[in-house]
Amino acid sequence: MRKIYVTAALLSLLGLADALYLTVEHLTGATVQCTILSGCSEVLSSRYAVVGGFPLAAIGAAAYFTVFSLATLAAFGYRAAGTLLTPLLSAMFVVSLWLIYLQAFVIRQFCQYCLFSAAITSALLLLVVIGRFVLKPASV
Amino acid sequence: MKRILPFIIILAVLGLALGSAWYLTRSVPATPAVASQPAPPAPGTQPSPVQQASVNPGIPGAEPAHSQGTANAPVHLEEFGDFECPPCGLFHPVLKQMEEEFRGQVRVTFREFPLPTIHQHAMAAASAAEAAGLQGKFWEMHDLLYDRQNNWKTQFDVRPVFEGYAKEIGIDVERYKRDVNSDLVAQRIFNDGRRAHSLGVKGTPTVFMNGREVPFELLLPAEKLRATIQNEIQTAKR
Repeated sequence: MRKIYVTAALLSLLGLADALYLTVEHLTGATVQCTILSGCSEVLSSRYAVVGGFPLAAIGAAAYFTVFSLATLAAFGYRAAGTLLTPLLSAMFVVSLWLIYLQAFVIRQFCQYCLFSAAITSALLLLVVIGRFVLKPASV
Repeated sequence: MKRILPFIIILAVLGLALGSAWYLTRSVPATPAVASQPAPPAPGTQPSPVQQASVNPGIPGAEPAHSQGTANAPVHLEEFGDFECPPCGLFHPVLKQMEEEFRGQVRVTFREFPLPTIHQHAMAAASAAEAAGLQGKFWEMHDLLYDRQNNWKTQFDVRPVFEGYAKEIGIDVERYKRDVNSDLVAQRIFNDGRRAHSLGVKGTPTVFMNGREVPFELLLPAEKLRATIQNEIQTAKR
């Protein structure tokens, strides 16, 4: 079980780096280059990229940092932290699904950084669910 | 110690994350400062990212190319652009400003690199610019397409819009209508695209300065590009 939390902590660092990059791009006013395979600029300059005045990427970075903190604490035996991970990651997963829906059907462009983040969140949720509900009896 | 170790790790990551974000947001003016070191580098200094890039001549694009500025200017900027690309639209006034500020020292060439897989009207816009170019008004159409990008990119059918632009810049609209679907225009766009691929261009805007790719982070905002150009001019003088 500890390995699961350590893996989750490392995975969340990838998500944190991704979200931080997008936050910095947003704060510096920089734009993301249009590339052959993605519509990052369209997605990241859309009105959905800001929530309540905060860049969505910054909220994502805060969420990933929280996941990292909880996973680290859980890896060191703080059980309550592990318990909090599942609802937090579930909420992040739902938000990721919503963002994928927006990209696919509203903005009609995909941003690879956003898809990467969604993949990380999905992997984290899967990992924690496996850890808590499949491996739980044997290893906690 | 084991009880506080996770908190130390968490604080370290928090510090690292905030520090990186702070450094990256503050490094906006710092990057050109590095770029201002002339080549070859003095001991302890580094050449700019542009000077570090290798020169790949690539294969020729459409000829004659759309260029403006002094022919023997010390700085030649070759832009691969897509008229529907939002960052290209943001880059357009910056490049115009640089052309004004460095008049006589900068030559600009525009190459078509439409990205139709993500921009539905990119090919039509490239064709419009090239068709206008056949009547000697490429840059006029180029400027209109960028300046009014937000007006046309959401339209269902851009043909009447672009025909209106053709009329506005004073070219023969009937000839424009024929040219816009001509093989010559398609061939020019294809040739520019072939050159782009030979240079490894994967996105827009991509700019080459004297044959070396300028990192996208150095194109915007204007002060970054200004510093990059100044550095290149100083290097050319040595």
